[in-house]
Amino acid sequence: MSFLILLARVIGSFAHIALVLAAAPAVIGLVGVLRARLLGRRGPAIWQPYARLRRLLRKDVLTPETATDLFPLWPYVCMAAMVTAAALVPGFCTGLVTAPLSDVITLAGLLALARAATLLAGLETGFGFGGAGAARDLLFSVFVEASLLVLLLTFGLIAHTQTVDGIAEALRASHIGISVSLGFALAAMLAIALTETGRIPADNPAGHLELAMVHEAMLLEYSGGLLALFEYAAMLRLIVWMDLIGTIFLPFGMARAQDVLSWPGGLALWAGKLLVMAVALCLFEVSTAKMRVFRVPEFLGVAMLLGVLSSVFLFVAARIGG
Amino acid sequence: MIGLPGQGLHWRVDALSALFLVILIPQVVAGALAGMRGSVAYWVFVAGMVLALAAGDAFTLIFGFELMSAASWLLVVQGDRRPATLYGGVAIFSGACLIPALFLQAGGLAFGLILLGAGAKAGLAPLHSWLPRAHPAPAAGVSAVMSGGMVKVALYVIIRYGFVVFGPAVQPWWGTALIAAGVAPVLIGALRAMLEVELKTMLACSTVEHVGLIAVGLGLALRAKALGDVGLAALGLQAALLCVVAHALFKPLLFIGVGAVKAATGTSSLNWLGGLMRGMPRLGGLMLAGAAGMAALPLGPGFAPEFLLLHAVLASAGGGGILARIGFTALLAALGLSAALALGAGVRLIGIGFLGRPRSLHAAAAEDIGGGTLAGMVLLAGLCVPVALLPGFVLARLAPVIILAVPGTVPPALAYAPLALALLMAVAGGAAWLVLRNAGTRREVAAWQGGFGPAPAWLPFGDPATQPSATGFAEPVWRAIGLGILGPGQVDPGEALVLAPLARINTRAARVAERIRRATVRQRLAFVFGALVAALMLLGLVQGR
Repeated sequence: MSFLILLARVIGSFAHIALVLAAAPAVIGLVGVLRARLLGRRGPAIWQPYARLRRLLRKDVLTPETATDLFPLWPYVCMAAMVTAAALVPGFCTGLVTAPLSDVITLAGLLALARAATLLAGLETGFGFGGAGAARDLLFSVFVEASLLVLLLTFGLIAHTQTVDGIAEALRASHIGISVSLGFALAAMLAIALTETGRIPADNPAGHLELAMVHEAMLLEYSGGLLALFEYAAMLRLIVWMDLIGTIFLPFGMARAQDVLSWPGGLALWAGKLLVMAVALCLFEVSTAKMRVFRVPEFLGVAMLLGVLSSVFLFVAARIGG
Repeated sequence: MIGLPGQGLHWRVDALSALFLVILIPQVVAGALAGMRGSVAYWVFVAGMVLALAAGDAFTLIFGFELMSAASWLLVVQGDRRPATLYGGVAIFSGACLIPALFLQAGGLAFGLILLGAGAKAGLAPLHSWLPRAHPAPAAGVSAVMSGGMVKVALYVIIRYGFVVFGPAVQPWWGTALIAAGVAPVLIGALRAMLEVELKTMLACSTVEHVGLIAVGLGLALRAKALGDVGLAALGLQAALLCVVAHALFKPLLFIGVGAVKAATGTSSLNWLGGLMRGMPRLGGLMLAGAAGMAALPLGPGFAPEFLLLHAVLASAGGGGILARIGFTALLAALGLSAALALGAGVRLIGIGFLGRPRSLHAAAAEDIGGGTLAGMVLLAGLCVPVALLPGFVLARLAPVIILAVPGTVPPALAYAPLALALLMAVAGGAAWLVLRNAGTRREVAAWQGGFGPAPAWLPFGDPATQPSATGFAEPVWRAIGLGILGPGQVDPGEALVLAPLARINTRAARVAERIRRATVRQRLAFVFGALVAALMLLGLVQGR
């Protein structure tokens, strides 16, 4: 019996990884279509990102003369770190075999590793835009990291565990209801996620002006398959953050990996949650303008403050309740 | 016979001393290989550290400690005279605090003096600002052992007295004081490491940060021990001791590497380097390993200690009084800020110094390292591998030390499994490599450069001004955070708030003394006469009653 459970968990984990890896471009495509529709355009097909990746894979890989031998290494590191992060964050079900690994700080570390590889890629060729983009991304990351850690404390206090899987289990099982703390935490988490995934208001993924770019500016010298790796990593980053937000704030209806019969429901709900989050993202993006670079630290400072407040509310509640 | 009359020197090596002696070995070997073999002062310095660590009584400990301070002062003077006075002053201050403390009764006063004395030597707040001045002064091999070994000896004194000798008298505020003395250097060190252009100063600032991290871990452990939570105490100690081990490997590695850069290019200023990976691939690879440790990236040697420390803070914030919990939340935010700043410092070291285009002909013509320097760096980098990939194994070796410091505890297991993560990443990277292997051909072309035309022939590496400098790369962080903490003059708060007032008092006292020295005969006679009259009046008043 326990062997069967383990088998189900292993199959569930592989299904999760395969689904996330396959769905990542589709989510970007969906966001693109929805955004275009909201702006009154027809927009590209939802499958456009897949076609783009395939086209990039067919193209030649151009290596700048001024780049060092490590030029091809950074896309691999960035992509591998993001794939690992995607394997750790639960999607449609909890109880993956990677659950013991899914410590929140490990996850933060993997995101930092992917970021470091991207920053080094930006500095690799020694051209102006890459360095400017890297410097800006680094500035954002300083505030992101601090706000994220404070938020993790809130989740840890509510769930009494430090793994993403454990937090999902705890929040699904207990009826915490709508609390002020979780509301603050959600607002902070959304601000962090928008910055991390390079969306408006921190960065514009559809921007064409190098001076205003952040994430794209670091990749300007990359081409062909190596660029495909970076773009794929960016797609994974969006779905990982959506999974993370879905797992923590919308944990209802998640399947259990050991219970095969719960999978179809979990899968359907997972797709629904991704759709809802994509719509919310588009609505937010079309109704907001991109910020100046030096406004973003203020934006994230508010997120950090909200994170601290959500913990403090929990402390006060524990004091009054206990 | 050296030592107290009729007593001599006493030796005793237990698990704690053994740990610190063991971490001393690789860096001393690497420092010797990097060119310090023939220096007498270097070996006296090492002997002082060994004596302090293996001491069985307070006299031997302080003798070794002062021997270490004196020899390292000599080594600092040999490198650069300017910071030597400051360095000597701090060493004397730390001795003046430690000597009475070691012979006092166990208690708050004694621990406070230990914290001041050893903390000044280790680089804890408020006396941390001497470290980025003095550590870069001597030769690279000595800087390596000063950053990797000497500050550890000072931390050893804090652990030895705070946890073992004064163990039964421990109070929660000792831990709180240690955390407070640690968190300021963490933030300031990380920020300055991100902003400094001089590589050795940058590494010294990063040492300040890591010493702060170790102190925070020790403080959490000390506080938990005083409050009776032995599990949390073990977690905090695990974080601190693993950080001691990892830092003793990657920081000497980086210091020796920067020494090699300076030898090859004639400068250690990031604004004159660039593209070193092309001319110095071996050094570049080794520095990449060290920088991954400094930046606390996963799968590097620095991540497991950071991981444990953050978990210790998260656990501390989970209970206790409301003010303490808010304090730990703020501590968490500070640690998050400095973790990201440390990542930025590591990226800047590699990205500006070793990647990109050369910023000077010297950087373009640099030749790779070899011989003793290479051997020493390979030794240190090789030892980083087990710390990076098997932290659980290293923590199991540390268990006796933790049980010695916190009796009756069971060190918790590590929840971070780098081997599994490495396996996942290797599978992902391998699969991507298989997909990309046949996709498209690889061609080398001129860089796109944002559409700029090719550089003229007399600029073989393009115009250096068109590539971001180290200062420019740090500029956004400087504007958003640095200006608030360091002020427009980019002065360390430790310097502005502690050293500058001391210097002002010194100037004023010297002026008074000078005025007394320059007094004319008439003034002196008037003073003698006035004093006589005053004494007689006093006598009269006392007698008259």
